[in-house]
Amino acid sequence: MKKWHYLLLSLTLVYLGAINKTWAHGVRLQYKLQQAIQIHAIYDDGQPMQEAQVIVYAPNDPTTPWLTGTTNQEGKFIFTPDLSQEGNWDVTVRQAGHGNMVSIPLVKADDADSTPIVASESSNMAYTPLQKALMAIMGVWGFVGTALFFSRRKTDS
Amino acid sequence: MHIPDSFLPPRVCLLGYALTGLGTWYSLHRIRLETNPTEQIPKASLLTAGFFVASLIHIPLPPSSIHLVFNGLMGIMLGYYAFPAILIGLFFQAVMFQHGGLTTLGVNGVIMGFPALFAYYFFRFGQRFTQDKSPWWQSFFVFLAGGGALAISALIFTLVILSFIPADFDVQTEQTIALIALIGYGIQAVIEGIFTVMFITFIQRVKPELLNNRNLRQDKQRNEAINQS
Repeated sequence: MKKWHYLLLSLTLVYLGAINKTWAHGVRLQYKLQQAIQIHAIYDDGQPMQEAQVIVYAPNDPTTPWLTGTTNQEGKFIFTPDLSQEGNWDVTVRQAGHGNMVSIPLVKADDADSTPIVASESSNMAYTPLQKALMAIMGVWGFVGTALFFSRRKTDS
Repeated sequence: MHIPDSFLPPRVCLLGYALTGLGTWYSLHRIRLETNPTEQIPKASLLTAGFFVASLIHIPLPPSSIHLVFNGLMGIMLGYYAFPAILIGLFFQAVMFQHGGLTTLGVNGVIMGFPALFAYYFFRFGQRFTQDKSPWWQSFFVFLAGGGALAISALIFTLVILSFIPADFDVQTEQTIALIALIGYGIQAVIEGIFTVMFITFIQRVKPELLNNRNLRQDKQRNEAINQS
């Protein structure tokens, strides 16, 4: 092999060694179980809020968005909070002026070495149709009572 | 059309409360000038119950659904009583069903209360304008009053939510969706206008004394005579 062949080979090896990317052809996959929070946004008639804007605020900075995204076709949005930040994680969902905000408490368990957990596993603020009907009936009865009171016959006293 | 809590900056909520307070004061002032202010309260109370329940009834309108508001009908039937009645209805909707917020109660009162007063004034104007004309003209003015109130409410609602979109949200997306929602509100305005015509026509036929038939000018003249005496 001629001398210039050795020189060219040496230069090539030096060049390849200087570029870190050449060592990235191999790929490693790792997995780890995380604690995720699922937000399910639905209108009060049961329809999911599809493609609604979602903003997540972290406890240590409630004025700056920590994460933004959109709900899927089922009105769901999943995110993994930073478990090192204890406190209330506020999630706002908005679409065309409709929406709501929910506060998710993230606290450390009694064992100081354990992973922080969500204080309440789920929050279902929706009333059942029966509950809604009962509340509506109570409200209507109050208005009917007011109407009956003011329409009573005046008695001479 | 109810704006929830945390959607508007505090200064807008305060302005809403100020405007609603002004509207409530003026409505109560006009109610107090009547000869028997409590006479209309049973009617106002029952219509408030209807307004309160109407938000729970969803009518499917693809791709989503609507709930009727009836603020135009309330304005026609109640006159100045409509403003405090709507405010009370909104309060109970917010407290019991979280339909609209408490911090945005003032803004929601502006959105739905003032168009109700517009419906009342427009209905009275229509009554004077169509005195010698065919009943179809009266129905047309009732339709405009009932549907127009909802349309004005939708316009105010859209204007408010588009003017105060927080910087954290995608403004373009919100604007697009809000403008598309206006089309749905337009259809809802037509539906409410038709229902208002049906209801008012029925009331005029069965019990016309239920309608607020007093003339504004007569009220003003009577009150001026009382003040002078």
